[in-house]
Amino acid sequence: MIPVVAESPAVELLGVTKKFRGGLAVDNLNLTVPRGSTLGLIGPNGAGKSTTIRMLMGTLAPSLGQVRVFGLNVANHAARIRPRVGYVPERHDVYPWMTVSEVIAFTSAFYPHWDVGFCRELMDLFALDGRKAVKHLSKGMLVKLSLLLAVSHHPELLILDEPTSGLDPIVHDDFLEAVLRSVCGRGTTVLHSSHNLEDIRRLADSVCILRAGRILVHGGVDQLLASVKRIRAVLIDGHLPRWVPDGTVSQKIQRREWLLTVDRFDKSLADRIRRENPVESVDVFDLSLGEVFKDYVLGGAEP
Amino acid sequence: MRIEPDSHVPVYLQIVELLRSSIAAGVYRAGEGLPSLRVLSTDLRVNPNTVQRAFDELCRQGLIESRRGVGMFVAKRGTHSATARAEETAQAAFAQAAAAALAAGLDVDRVRELFESALPSASKKSRTKKTGVPS
Repeated sequence: MIPVVAESPAVELLGVTKKFRGGLAVDNLNLTVPRGSTLGLIGPNGAGKSTTIRMLMGTLAPSLGQVRVFGLNVANHAARIRPRVGYVPERHDVYPWMTVSEVIAFTSAFYPHWDVGFCRELMDLFALDGRKAVKHLSKGMLVKLSLLLAVSHHPELLILDEPTSGLDPIVHDDFLEAVLRSVCGRGTTVLHSSHNLEDIRRLADSVCILRAGRILVHGGVDQLLASVKRIRAVLIDGHLPRWVPDGTVSQKIQRREWLLTVDRFDKSLADRIRRENPVESVDVFDLSLGEVFKDYVLGGAEP
Repeated sequence: MRIEPDSHVPVYLQIVELLRSSIAAGVYRAGEGLPSLRVLSTDLRVNPNTVQRAFDELCRQGLIESRRGVGMFVAKRGTHSATARAEETAQAAFAQAAAAALAAGLDVDRVRELFESALPSASKKSRTKKTGVPS
């Protein structure tokens, strides 16, 4: 029997762990992506992003825990889930011997909801030549074809695995436009793994920072930028900090300058740093998503 | 129109500011429609949920109103409200700059001078003309 779960989230990871011979690639991940939202998955190379995505796609089984898509366990219902998902992989290894039109015809046969008109619209937008052999496509064209194949059936969940790495700025921009055209007004859920934090800022509602297979932080992008701040204190000569706040993500001291990045910032925190430490002044600075990311990943704070 | 993905300012507020200044400048006048969610989302390269949040905020501020199934329109007093909002934004920016200058140890008179010097001298002239001070 197939469980009918109408209001279940698009994606749920429940205690998901993946062990390889070399060690833990993913370590007890718990993550929910509500329907209609876009999650940015970011982290340094080897953080476990691609492993997580492969488990979502059902091409890799978790060692422990459960992966659920639309409330269905991927381990038992991969065939039911697959037609509702669009996937743009990191490497675009689509049938090099076929022409673009052949690949499209071949792929469309797997999807009952293939939208011929939308597929045509994207071919025009991308200036994709149907007669061209896939093996002769440039890297940028290959990425566009890969996206076209992933979205022409209007998936309910779109998974993008570092799709824009190595693209020139114009192809990159076309790619963003096509992603937005395909999700607009459809309530599509998107899981977007990327090293491009500007893309994440443009496209994501929430963000999840992974490091060494673990979640360092997960939350709304705006909430994250409102709560993580950098504080610069100037130390009185010959003194070191006495009180370091609990939510310190990273800190360093250079001559008189004590720089610390803190989570859960509010004004009373700055006041307390001023009160409890031998400092001449305390200033608070806003951070970009890129700076927040760097401080979390390099900061060494345990999740 | 563009947004700054590197800024700490929430993207939806950046869109609110873009649309507000377009309404204040008369790009969209009272009673006229705004570009659709789909058009703004693809043009600005921003998630449609974020554009919707910007629309919601502008509705809350009374600058635009939703007509079911048709889209967003500039409210009757939208142009006026958009201009009033511009004053608030400017006031907040001045307040922040003043606080920073005072914190850095400048005295009040010097801060006042700095504000004066930041204003272009041409605008002072044009104001004199408007009020019609006889020369």
